[in-house]
This record gives sequence, C-alpha cells and structure tokens, in this order.
Amino acid sequence: MSRILVAEDDPHILRLIAMWLRRQGHEVLEARHGAAALALIEEQAVDVLVSDVNMPGVDGLELIEAILPQSRVRRGVIVLTNRWDHGEIRERLARWGVQVMPKPFSPTRLSELVEALVRAEGEPAESGENPGLAAGATEVQFVPPPANLPPA
Amino acid sequence: MCAEQIQEITPKQPAGARHLLWRGVLPEAVGLCFVAIIFTGFAAAYLVARNAWEEQTTAARQAEAARLATLTADAIGSGMQSGTATALLRQVAQRPGVHAIQWTGPAGEVRFVWPSPGHAVPTLTAVEDLTVAAANVRTPEGVLEGTLRIELAGAWDLASDSHLFWNWAIAACTTLIVFVLLYRRLRGHLRPLAALHQNLEHYAAGIERQLEALTLGDALGATAQSWNMLIREFAAARQQLETVRRANQTGDILTRFEGAIFRRVVDRLPFGVLCVNSDQTVTYANGSALALLGARSEAVLGQPLGEAVGAPAVAAAVSGAQARSSAGLAIDHTLTTGESETTLRFRVLPLSDEAAGGETLVSIEDIGQLKESERARDNFLYHVTHELRTPLTSIHAYAETLTRPGFDDEQTRKECYNVIMSETRRLSSLVEDILSLSQLEVGTARLDVGDVDLVRLIRQMVQDNLGAADEKRIDLTLTLPPKAPKVRGDKQRLSVLLMNLIGNAIKYTPENGTVQVTLTVSEQRVAISVRDTGIGIAPEDQAHIFEKFYRASNDKVQAVAGTGLGLAIAREVARLHGGDIHLQSEPGQGSTFTVELPVSNTEPAEAFAR
Repeated sequence: MSRILVAEDDPHILRLIAMWLRRQGHEVLEARHGAAALALIEEQAVDVLVSDVNMPGVDGLELIEAILPQSRVRRGVIVLTNRWDHGEIRERLARWGVQVMPKPFSPTRLSELVEALVRAEGEPAESGENPGLAAGATEVQFVPPPANLPPA
Repeated sequence: MCAEQIQEITPKQPAGARHLLWRGVLPEAVGLCFVAIIFTGFAAAYLVARNAWEEQTTAARQAEAARLATLTADAIGSGMQSGTATALLRQVAQRPGVHAIQWTGPAGEVRFVWPSPGHAVPTLTAVEDLTVAAANVRTPEGVLEGTLRIELAGAWDLASDSHLFWNWAIAACTTLIVFVLLYRRLRGHLRPLAALHQNLEHYAAGIERQLEALTLGDALGATAQSWNMLIREFAAARQQLETVRRANQTGDILTRFEGAIFRRVVDRLPFGVLCVNSDQTVTYANGSALALLGARSEAVLGQPLGEAVGAPAVAAAVSGAQARSSAGLAIDHTLTTGESETTLRFRVLPLSDEAAGGETLVSIEDIGQLKESERARDNFLYHVTHELRTPLTSIHAYAETLTRPGFDDEQTRKECYNVIMSETRRLSSLVEDILSLSQLEVGTARLDVGDVDLVRLIRQMVQDNLGAADEKRIDLTLTLPPKAPKVRGDKQRLSVLLMNLIGNAIKYTPENGTVQVTLTVSEQRVAISVRDTGIGIAPEDQAHIFEKFYRASNDKVQAVAGTGLGLAIAREVARLHGGDIHLQSEPGQGSTFTVELPVSNTEPAEAFAR
C-alpha cells in the first residue's frame, strides 16, 4: 500500500481519481489546491503526487517546484493538465522529469502509471531519471492550438 | 455635285450655301474678273488718250485758222484802195484747206464771198470737219472796214489715230498674256485652296466630318505638307478625345481616371504605394506610403529603395522580382520610430507591361492591427479550448469508469451518470455562451425587439434565483418603484443579463449574506442594481472583470465554478440596448453591479446599430 497525494481543484475529477486509487488499495490524500497539498506533504511524505497544473493560489507548477528539493515524494510525480499544449509549461515539466497526462485523461492509464511508479525498483525519480517518463502518457489526441500562445 | 450639296444643305444654311456656290468657282471667277478689269482699264486708257489727241489737233487747227484770218485781215486793211484786197482774198482762197471766205463790211454789206454765189460749195469728206476763224479788217488809220470770216476744212489724221489704237491694243494683249500665264501658274495653287475653302465650310456646317478631306494636294509643296501634318495631328487628337469621351460614357471608372485624378486617387489609398525604377530608385510615393514610413517626401523620392524604407530586404526582394519579372513575396518589417513600433508588410508587384518601363510597384500595409487581432483570436481560441476541456475531462473519465469492472455497484454508477449529466449541461451552456458572446460581439446577433416590462422580468428572475439563494441562506430582496416605464429591447437577452448578475451575486456571496436587487427610474434611463455582501472584487481585477474568460485569481473566486463569460455577455447585452454596466466593489465588503438602460422613447433599432 502506498500513500498517494492528489491535488486537483475540480471536485469531480478529484473524487474520481481518489475512488480509482483507493480501489487499487492505496491510501489517498485529497487536496483542492496547491496550498492544501503543501500542508499535507509537510505533514507526511508520500509515494506519488498526482497534481493538476491550473489550481487557485499555489498552482501545480509552484507546488512541484516547492517540493522538488525536499524529496518528500518518494516515487514520482504525475501531472494532469489541460494546458499540455502550452510551450513553457511543457518545457518546465520535461526539465523536472515528471509524468504528464494530458486532460481529458483515461483513469485506467492513470492508475497503470501510478502502479508502475509504485512498483518501480530503486530510488524515487524526481531528481533523476523517471522510469515512467519514457512510457509517459502521450495520449495527445487533440490538435494543439496555435503555437504563439499568450503567457499563462 | 455642287448643286446637289447646295440642295442638301439649303434647309440648314441658306446663306452659307450661297457662299459655297461662289467659293466653289473661285479661281475661274477671279480669273474672269481680272480679265474684265484689264480690258476695261485698257479701253478707258485708250479713250482718254484719243480724246487728248483730238483736243490737241482741234486747238492746233483753230490757232492756224485764227492766224490765217488775222494775217489776211491785216493785208486787206493795208491794200484797201485798190482791188488788191479782192485779189489777195482770191489768192488766199486758193490755199489748200480753205473752204470758204466771207468779208462783210461795217454796214453788213458783203464785200467778198468765196466761193462766189452760184458756185457750188465744195462738200466735206467723211473725215473732214470745219474750223472757223474771224478777224476785224481795219485800215492803217484804224477805220473798221468790216469782218473777215475764214472757214478751213481739215481732214483727221487716221494713220496716227490707228497708231494710237494699236499701241494700246498691243499693250493690253501683252498684259493679258502675262496675266493668263500667271493665272495658269496660280490656278494650281488656287484650286486646292478653293477646295479647302469649300471643305472647311462643309466641315463647319457639319456636312463633312472626315478631317482627311481637309488635307491639301502636293501642288503646294512644303506648305501642304505642314498643313497636312497639322490636320493629321488634329485628327489623332480628336480621335483620342472621342475615345475618352466614349469611355466616359460607357467605360468603367478606371478607364475614366486620367492623370491628375488618378494620382489623387492613388494618393488617398489607405495603403502605401511606391514606384521603383530599374535602378532601384523610388520614383513615386503616395501619401499613405510617406505616412507609414514616417518620412518626408524628399527622404523617399529619388532615393535608393533600401534607404528610403530602411529595410534592405525589401530592396533585395524588388531586385529579385525584377530579375525574374515575377511577383515577389510579402516581406514583414518592423519599423521603430521613437517609442512606437509598427510592423509593415511590403509586397512587390512588377509592372510587366512595356509601358511601365521596368517600374516595380511596392505596396505597404500596416499589419500591426492584423497581428493584434490575430493575437486576440489565438487568445480566445486558447481559452475556449481550455474551458471546453474541463467538462470534457470529467465526462471522459466518468464514462470510462462506467465501462470498468469493479465500478459496477449501484451507487458508483449513479454518481457517474449524475456527473456526466451535469458536466454535459455545463459543456452545452458553455458552448451556448461562447456562441452567444461571439454573435453579440460580431454584431450578428438577432435581437427580438419589443416592449419589455422590466418590473415583471426582474420579479421573474428573482423568483428563479430564490432556490439557489435559499440553499446558501442568502436573503434575496427586491425593491421596485411604484411605477416603471417599459423599455424597448430583447426580453430573452435581458433576462440572460439579469440571470448572470443575480446568479453571480449569489455564487460569490457567502452563506447568510444578502443580495439586493433594486430598480430605479429617472427621466431618461432606468437603472437595475444588484448589490451583494460577497467577496468583492480587487481593484486590479475590476478593470478586466468584463473581459471574456477573465476570472479573478482570488482563491475564493476560483473555488466557484464559472467560465468568465457571464459578465462579458451582460455588458454586450447592455451596450446593444444602448446602455451600459458599471461596477462598484470593495474586497470583503461586496459588489454592486448597475445596469443602465434607456427608456422606451429611444428607438432601440438605432441604439442597436453598431
């Protein structure tokens, strides 16, 4: 059993992910925004962080940036975003070596990804190579919007 | 031919016709006139000369007769005593030419008469006439012895008369011959001139419109050539004029543009036009080109293109296009003057026809506006796709959950269906909002205009929101004036406006708060204000709150579901009705949104015109 933190502002999505992961037998911590997630992670280290990017207050990117040096996430980070086509966001996520799942996402794929991270051998991967990255979610089924997007 | 023409034109120009007749035979008439003048002149001169000659001869004869009479009278006077006088008289009578002599005494008695009575008086020949002279006879003492009368018969000298005549006749003939020779020579010149004269008359009278008829034959030499050249040039000019005139009547507007007009039109085009010759020198720049380049005409005209526009790439494109004589591509160049920045798009269009002499046209457009609207469109699309993905994500995830084993318990299935349903509704209302907003913005929205009873509409809207207010235990109140005028407008869209405002007020007001809806009426306008005790709007957000997809970054705002379209739609609807919407807010204290609408007397169709 692993401890998984889910940070997501959409209550429907948060509830759905928690439901799936709990049925897989994981302990799930729920946060409605970045600040709540930070508070939870301070309290106890987690195995996997599943986070949305666009959240009120502290957003997903700020959350990851804050926890990266502390190694409070042991196995890996999965980012859910509907801004996966935003160049800057994509660049930062790639630099950190986190898993990216574009929204709309498949909960089946998400739970598989969580399983893969949890069962991966060796040390957690936030600062190094992430075993899940190569197999990372590449379900880009939507035509990306024009390249010259305004800043987030 | 002449007669026919005269008949033809008589009704039009009778006076002109007489002239034509006269002018048509001009050389012959002139010739005959001259002959008549010469003859009359010479005849008159001859008569004058002859008259003079006769007078001279008569005078000589009279002088001779007088001398003879005087001499004879003196001789008689001195020889009075004897019969010498008679003998003397007889002697005188023998002189040739003496026709008759008569001496009459002082008392009237005839003392001598010759020829003697009874002798026949000699008759005069046809060419003779008489000259009579008389003289008094006196003795040496001075006694008057009567009067002597002598008649002399003289014949005219026909030879000298005819000599005179022939002299004049020869002179006249010589003159005539000279004239005829001259005339023959002149006639060659006069004929074409006369024809020209006639044709000019025809031309002026409108009978003959062919200018070729006015050309002259070669007889006039260089003069004819010059004249013909003049006529040809005139004919060409007239033809050109005719073409232009016809084009003016029937041609399109471009055919009508000539010179100065065309230049003025090009000068006022909203985009820049430059002409560049084969040496890459700017030969023309219209007003817009100068304005776009921000340069004075002397800094552009006559200058090399690269320097004039400050973009070597444009010059390179022009030379490339000239070499291939094909249209060059569009080149975008950003021009920085002071603090402002403009992006200009240059298009190179070689004028391939020969008349242009290798000139190339360069058009200049300011695409700053275009870029701005492209940016706005991209921004809009970005937000739209982002907003659409949110409900889609839920629908997708919950639908997939339904298909998985292990999630088939009744409660999970019910929850999945509920989420799918509510998110589908959200998606559909989002699509509806986006469509409605873009219609309102573009101005293609169809307004169903009628008299709207605002009091009734507001009551209805408040009624509809009572449920949502109750859920949060919010006190929703309504204040209405005793009497309110109707407004002209689209009831459906006005209800959307009110729904958005009241709905927002309830959404962003914490539990146990209040929302007050108030209608106030002034002479010209009605104002609907929605006041809440909600979270309020930060000053930095107030400026953007009516922009589409704008949502304050405040946690409390983000915690409430919303698309950021409601207020944008509300403002568009208010403005379409000739009104507007204002905001008064303080964070933590609440917000008041006030919609002002004009009262019915303003015709809404005008107010809606955008």
